[in-house]
Amino acid sequence: MTEPRTATTAAPTARANAPTPRVRRSGAARRRLRTAVAAAGFLAPSLLLLLGFWIGPMLGTAWVSLQDWNLIGVPTFVGLDNYTELLGDAEFHAALGHTLAYLAGYLPLVLVCGLAVALLLDAKLPAMTLYRATFFLPVISSWVAVSLLWKWLLNPADGLVNRILGALGVPGPGWWTDPDWAMPSVVLASVWKDVGFVAVILLAGLQAIPRDLLEAAALDGAGWWRKLRSITLPMISPSLFFVTVISLINGFQVFDQVWVMTEGGPGGASSVVVEQIVNNAFSYGRVGYASAMSIVLFAVILLVTLAQLRLQRRWVHYE
Amino acid sequence: MTTRRRVLAAAAGALAAVSLLAACGQDASGGADDGATGTVTYFTFSAAPDHLKDLDAIKAEFEKQNPGITVQVQTAAYDDYFTKLQTAIAGGTAPDTFELNYENFVTYARAGALLPLDERAKADQDYDANRLYPKAREAFQFKGKLYAVPSTFSDVVLFYNKKLFDAAGVAHPTADWTWADERAAAEKLTNKAKGVYGDYQPVTFHEFYKALAQNGGSFLSEDGKKATFNDAKGLEAAQWLLSKPGTVQPTVAEIGGKADYDTALFTSGKLAMWHNGIWQISKLAGTAGLDFDIVTEPGNTRKANAVFMNATAVSAKTKKATAAWKWARFLGSSQKAVETRLGSNWELPAVSDQAAFDSYLKKTPPANRKAVFDALADIALPPVLDAQQSKMQDIVTQALEKAASGQATPQQALDDAAAAVTALIK
Amino acid sequence: MSRKILRYLALTLGAVAMLGPFAWMLITSLTGDPQLARVDAPLLPDPPTIEPYGRLGEAFPFWRFAANSVGVAVVSTLLQLFTSATAAYAFSRLRFRGSGAVFVLYLATMMIPMQVIIVPLFIEMRHLGLVDSYAGLLLPTIVSSFGVFMLRQAFLALPMELDEAAYVDGAGHLRVFAQVLLPLVAPALATFAVFAFMSSWNAFLWPLVIAQTEAHMTLPVGLSLLQGRYSTAWNVVMAGSTMSVLPILALYVFAQRYVVRGITFTGIKS
Repeated sequence: MTEPRTATTAAPTARANAPTPRVRRSGAARRRLRTAVAAAGFLAPSLLLLLGFWIGPMLGTAWVSLQDWNLIGVPTFVGLDNYTELLGDAEFHAALGHTLAYLAGYLPLVLVCGLAVALLLDAKLPAMTLYRATFFLPVISSWVAVSLLWKWLLNPADGLVNRILGALGVPGPGWWTDPDWAMPSVVLASVWKDVGFVAVILLAGLQAIPRDLLEAAALDGAGWWRKLRSITLPMISPSLFFVTVISLINGFQVFDQVWVMTEGGPGGASSVVVEQIVNNAFSYGRVGYASAMSIVLFAVILLVTLAQLRLQRRWVHYE
Repeated sequence: MTTRRRVLAAAAGALAAVSLLAACGQDASGGADDGATGTVTYFTFSAAPDHLKDLDAIKAEFEKQNPGITVQVQTAAYDDYFTKLQTAIAGGTAPDTFELNYENFVTYARAGALLPLDERAKADQDYDANRLYPKAREAFQFKGKLYAVPSTFSDVVLFYNKKLFDAAGVAHPTADWTWADERAAAEKLTNKAKGVYGDYQPVTFHEFYKALAQNGGSFLSEDGKKATFNDAKGLEAAQWLLSKPGTVQPTVAEIGGKADYDTALFTSGKLAMWHNGIWQISKLAGTAGLDFDIVTEPGNTRKANAVFMNATAVSAKTKKATAAWKWARFLGSSQKAVETRLGSNWELPAVSDQAAFDSYLKKTPPANRKAVFDALADIALPPVLDAQQSKMQDIVTQALEKAASGQATPQQALDDAAAAVTALIK
Repeated sequence: MSRKILRYLALTLGAVAMLGPFAWMLITSLTGDPQLARVDAPLLPDPPTIEPYGRLGEAFPFWRFAANSVGVAVVSTLLQLFTSATAAYAFSRLRFRGSGAVFVLYLATMMIPMQVIIVPLFIEMRHLGLVDSYAGLLLPTIVSSFGVFMLRQAFLALPMELDEAAYVDGAGHLRVFAQVLLPLVAPALATFAVFAFMSSWNAFLWPLVIAQTEAHMTLPVGLSLLQGRYSTAWNVVMAGSTMSVLPILALYVFAQRYVVRGITFTGIKS
């Protein structure tokens, strides 16, 4: 086996900075160094931008979280006061609870529905592009349009959903006007809007499954369920893993739909973390407190994501 | 090795960002001047989307009268306005002049973001303080100093549909009406079979503080240290608002999230009485087949009317203080601004100019247009808690929502809200 | 046979439900003011009018803002594809120390709400002199951890034997990346391009604060100006929304050409 050549053109800057080895190194060490240099080169564009325009401001946010600041005056350093206040903030705890409740409903539903739609769309049949585009429509529509539509569909008085339920003899709930049903309403609208997103990503994964694999399984007499369990799901597990992690990260930061559908109501029953962050930062003159909330939220998401990265070894199959 | 170096680079980048942040808000080059020339930026929430041309007309006249000064207008929707303004101020790029409403004004004045204007006013021979509406001038003072030039005001009145009243044989509302009169009429006018509702008043902070005043109550204790809106008078005010949805007014569920439903109800001739601001007049006057009039809102034990006031502030950091002052003054009191606002049914100019208002008053509908000014006799301004205004408003609105959705009794909800507001005052 | 019918039945049912918001947007955008102002008006516009589309230009220079949006979204998408694909290659193909930690660092940038980041970011931009400039508008958007992650997953699905075969032929990393692997992840690239374009095209908060003059404002910022403090002309807002959905839809349909079953590599696999 020939040794991989270093990417000479890929990383001119990184290469210029790398010390020229005087002493003859062992082949393995030189290979490691070359790979590291190549990696630096391939990472440089994104890493520099991330450091400059995301990680820098994130550290800025961490700094702001130690201040009492209303954005228009001079900040006052207050140490960890904002964090100790968070410990006793019942509204924040409630918002965290609502956010978790949202995730508990949203995540399984959007993944299962998204997978189902992706499987349905994964066929070489006429008009599939048209169907794919249709399922993508809610993804690209604005939340304002989607929420107005869903509030109309879930109208407790004469909405379509309650009319159907009524015809089936089931009394329809008060949906977004009822404190207990406000969050389920948001979940429903969110799942419906994001199904296309999940489906599109999984579809790209499904397309990569070699057809002959499935055909061979069919020849072996495997049924639909067995093919799904033992071939399809393992083969698209990298895509599944990706949408799970992304949906979780985004789900923790649920905001737009709550803002336009319920404004956190009624009476705060569907208030979520990012809504409190936005209110505190731009409405209540407490950007320091809002930043502390953001850092806490960040820590929670990071922990969950790290756990997912660890758990992936059990179920995600790469080539 | 590369990883370690990268971590170092990350740390360096972060440090730079943090020091940038720490440096902000420290360069205090306030109120500087380079003569009355150059470009003045103006940020406003009240022009888009309907009055951009009117603002352009005012701007053109100002530039004509003040050669050498150009005004650069920036607009944002009200919902996004303060996010953008605060970020700009935090970043040290505040516009030279910007619009502020009464409720938010004190926060900006106290934080030192506004240029005190008394000296500019004194030095300006063209400025006539008496031309400005006195209550508005008072409202935009902080610690006895003027910090913004009042520009516009609007008040809230009772709109009513004459045809519905006549059809139901109910006498038209008068300025002497009380809550009981309104209630009785609303019940007679409500005809759910025909989809007609008797009354519409949102259940929010702004309606509540006003109802409280109409009931002779007080939002805060006299020393301003304690919330007192949970007393018997407050409870009665809350119940007054809460009693309407479901009886004489559509419930939240019946509205079903339809946007601007109350407006559509009234313009469709399906709503007899509507508590709303005079900014609705131009739209209603242009609605064919709608016969409406206005009257000041009924009180319970006394009259009290809500007034919304806006003003033009000058940034403390501006480098064009003289030009900025001139523009703020022009927006508030110039003939052109007054005429343009009245002519286009924008909000009303905050001036004491009877001659200008005369022509406004002659326009119909509504026939009883003078109610707009009658309302000013009994103003109830919203309570203002320095830095915590929006938080307080949200607490009260949320308490009313809790009561409306049955999460708490009205008394419980008010007690909790009062405790929370008192805690805000500290 | 019946299986095919079932599939179409399920898809059609779903599609009808999915058409809802778009249909609703379109219907509202074709409704005239008088009808919109009535609670008892019929659901469908009667008669339909394109007048709301004509009013789009009244509140803001529509075509100028649209041109800005197109320019920013196209540049941003191309650069996002570049920065994401290169990083994804490093994370999936190159073994280097700290790779896992750096990847987590990338993911971490997605975990903090944009709403609080904009304040320090804005202050930074001000010190760089980039407030109200295309550079200020673009710089934070041309890198995407989402894209890095998505493309990394796509690369990981390709067998390592592909690279090794290329190395045998004397290829370097750059050639393996650009000529061997990149064509094979075309479905993922095309899908990500749609998302990248969409995120730039719909971005609101950052353009709102960083653009100060009309020269740098984008369509979503313009559409927000249509919302009045006391009332909103929903037909005009929906006309604008409909107009702004169409380019993404077109791009999506176009990208579908590349989301087709790729070359099978089972032959290479041992």
